[in-house]
Amino acid sequence: MMFSRMLISVIVLGVAGGAAMTGAQEEDVVAALAPRAETLILARCSVCHTPDLVAQQRLPKDRWEATVQKMRHWGAEITEEEAGLLVRFLSARYHPGAPDQLPPLDSELRKAEPLTQEPAAEGPLVGVAVRGAGIFEHNCQACHGTGATGGFGPKLAKNPILKHEDLFWETVLHGRGPMPAWGAALSHQDIADIHAWLLTK
Amino acid sequence: MSDSGALSRRTCFQRIAFLLGGLALWRRVQPAQAEPAGVVETGPQTVRVMRPYDAETPVREFASYLTPNHRFFVRSHFGPPEAALIAEADWRLRVGGLIEHPLELTLKDLKQFERITITAVVQCSGNGRAFHRPKVPGVQWERGAVGNAQWTGVRLRDLLAKAGVRPAAKHVQLQGADRPVVTSVPLFTRSIPLEKAVHPDTILAYEMNGRPLPLLHGAPLRVITPGWMADSCIKWLTDITVQADEAKGYYMQTAYRVPVTAIQPNSGLPGTSMVPVEAMVLKSLIASPGNGDEVGRGPVTVQGVAWSGESAITTVELSFDEGRTWEQARLVGEDEPYAWRQWQFLWKPKAAGSASILCRATDSAGQVQPQTTAWNPSGFLWNGWDRVTVTVQA
Repeated sequence: MMFSRMLISVIVLGVAGGAAMTGAQEEDVVAALAPRAETLILARCSVCHTPDLVAQQRLPKDRWEATVQKMRHWGAEITEEEAGLLVRFLSARYHPGAPDQLPPLDSELRKAEPLTQEPAAEGPLVGVAVRGAGIFEHNCQACHGTGATGGFGPKLAKNPILKHEDLFWETVLHGRGPMPAWGAALSHQDIADIHAWLLTK
Repeated sequence: MSDSGALSRRTCFQRIAFLLGGLALWRRVQPAQAEPAGVVETGPQTVRVMRPYDAETPVREFASYLTPNHRFFVRSHFGPPEAALIAEADWRLRVGGLIEHPLELTLKDLKQFERITITAVVQCSGNGRAFHRPKVPGVQWERGAVGNAQWTGVRLRDLLAKAGVRPAAKHVQLQGADRPVVTSVPLFTRSIPLEKAVHPDTILAYEMNGRPLPLLHGAPLRVITPGWMADSCIKWLTDITVQADEAKGYYMQTAYRVPVTAIQPNSGLPGTSMVPVEAMVLKSLIASPGNGDEVGRGPVTVQGVAWSGESAITTVELSFDEGRTWEQARLVGEDEPYAWRQWQFLWKPKAAGSASILCRATDSAGQVQPQTTAWNPSGFLWNGWDRVTVTVQA
């Protein structure tokens, strides 16, 4: 459903060619691309800076292109296809005529259903600590520090939250305070792996 | 007397109501959406970016001559370095390159040089970027990425004299201990021309407003280039390299540059002749009243600050009719080179309702602060007239 809507928007965009989008078209593009684009911003851009820096820009498409390419050049882990998607999303949502105040970037992700049951329907997940180490490095380390010893975000090694699994999952999936929601970026298996690895620290 | 008492009581009630309202709102939005889309007000600063931490000073703070350390704006590309890299026991300042005697100094060694204190404005090159049209990329600073502080340290020229600068030297490269999260991101490496480096007022500061330099402001040592923008004021300084050429790399050769001559908006990105941002431009700010304040019909004290890179402020003028006529403010307080000058004006509002106050300064070089600033691709050096809009009570 989501992907078909995205596909339609992409086709509409293609037909419209270089012509400026109407407000309604912009909203469609934003709605269709938001889940993937926002996830990429949280997972890839926020390695170096919080997404608030992205959300305060109001730029035309060519300057968004230049910005995304600059970040790729500097090491952002974004494929060519993902870069194209990001530029479409960013130039539809954060264009020069967009209002000063927009809802926070990950508000849609944060609206995810609250966690009320075991993360996996097919019984409890078993985390694999060895996998968790790599997933932590790419997604969590920028804020929580090498070896989970803390940084901009709290120290997670030996953190009491590890013993309260429901709170841990709630925080990772839906965010908390300055921490973004990771529910759309990480699979439940990923989160279980990270949890398993953190218990070894 | 009774009027002002009533007013202050009312203001007090308004503040309490505002705080309670704010608290209620804060509780309601916790924890799902801790902050609104735009600006986050956390205590004494207006946060623009949470990480790396970039925050500006609320303009009302500029009613004081010196900006307190904990409210002073914060800007860096990568945030402070790891504590181990700047711990006093291990931290060293190295001086190398085109010199006779390489130096490696502890903080204690450094303090053997003559101690100098200078009051100077430090301002982010992008202060006011949010006001450029068309809009430009970067942290959307408004009015508060600036402050005035007392900086204490040693003259860079004294160190260079001890090291012995060789004749081929033209530039001094400055490197701090801060590092990007990802190693493929270029380091924040800058250089200043030798003439600025050996200027007697260019210092390496280890104290700010009489206190040890705070971590967010570059502990244990930062460069202060009075009269120049803060892209030269390297924090967490560890390496000084004397060389024949400007520093290499993105932050010197591409970033922090402006076109030599004015260009059309949205034009001239590649190929335009660009020069490094150096001296500050003439600028003034209204610190009080604040935007959106309600003021009485009685005389209102309008106050603020004005500064100009290497010149003195000669006049500050205010306009209450969108710039058709201007009235001169009174310059008050301390008058020191490189610091800002405070000014005051007693305003008697003529009518109730919304009123805009504009402010502009003139300096000893004869420059007058312009209505708007020439557009440039990175939005540097904004110095258009300042504006505050208030409501005059009936």
